[in-house]
Amino acid sequence: MKLVLSDRPLPLSDSLDADTRYFDLSSCRIAHCVGCFGCWTKTPGRCVIRDDAVRIYPVIAKSERVLYVSRVKYGGYDSPMKTMLERAIPVQQAFIRVLDGETHHVQRAVEPKRATILAYGTTSDEEREIFRALVARNAKNMNFLSYEIRFVTEDEVEQAAAQEVRAWQAS
Amino acid sequence: MAGILILNGSPRAPRSNSKRYAALFMNRCKAQCEYQNITRTNHAELCEKMNKVSDVLLVFPLYADGLPVTLLEFLKTLETCPLERKPVISVLINCGFFEHHQNDIAVRMVELFCRQNGYRFGSVLKIASGEAILDTPFCGLVKRKLGQLAAAIVQGKARVLHVSMPLTRGMFVRASTRYWVSYGKKNGVSREQMAAMEIEGA
Repeated sequence: MKLVLSDRPLPLSDSLDADTRYFDLSSCRIAHCVGCFGCWTKTPGRCVIRDDAVRIYPVIAKSERVLYVSRVKYGGYDSPMKTMLERAIPVQQAFIRVLDGETHHVQRAVEPKRATILAYGTTSDEEREIFRALVARNAKNMNFLSYEIRFVTEDEVEQAAAQEVRAWQAS
Repeated sequence: MAGILILNGSPRAPRSNSKRYAALFMNRCKAQCEYQNITRTNHAELCEKMNKVSDVLLVFPLYADGLPVTLLEFLKTLETCPLERKPVISVLINCGFFEHHQNDIAVRMVELFCRQNGYRFGSVLKIASGEAILDTPFCGLVKRKLGQLAAAIVQGKARVLHVSMPLTRGMFVRASTRYWVSYGKKNGVSREQMAAMEIEGA
């Protein structure tokens, strides 16, 4: 399975195959994580908040390729993508393991994945550097086998996303 | 134009470890402190309060390797809120991992916010194993660092402080496992159930 997760609508409907799921977060209803630890300690693997996030995190887990499209704010994902990623913690366990010499949460059945991140709206080299460091750390916590970050302007987002999806279909 | 406004950016602020850290900080701080939770609806009120203090201490947990969205959204509001005099912004961050450096990226995000918006960045305390450390014999280590953070803010110094459990990584992993097993047990959930690989719908 493949996943396109975007914080803005993308005109991709004609280019997606049956194996690819697309979510436009701007049209989803996703509440903030409330930090209740329910998905770890009460109903493991299941979030107590029953909104659109519960349709998305299982797809994140199952996908072996992901394309995340997000505005960058202060060197991190802006609110729509960050809200969704925070709500995706049911894919992890509470338990800690050592990975690459650091402690990280144990993953549940999360497919190892190749990730592409289309990041737009950055304003400086410093911001891009922080974002690179963030994604490198995310890679350990989101089971990325590999990842590529493409910094684009807002005007380039649609074209870059379409190009990435076409490359998936061709591979 | 004196005093410290402590803003809790935890998603579960009223029941958070960040609240406990803030309370311990206030007990050790010689300046006047005011504590507020950040909510989705009180941004304007908090911006108004920021106009009246010399320092702001942002207290929050590391969340998905970065700032919790509760805090991110407040910073975005603050960006649009012209303050007459901008307070110095300091950070008290905690993560559940063994390594305090896992907090670094979130701290850099706040520093970037400060640079982009003309705030001076003050001091920072990075707490590791912050989910559990207050309920361990190592609590005193945290209290001492909180005292140092308070002194640094009052004196206008820019200090970078950190605290971790003085354990090996393997001991930490075993201790954290016991902590979470105990947490699940209170909910009637076993270790095996918590370690389920299944994800709903996947």
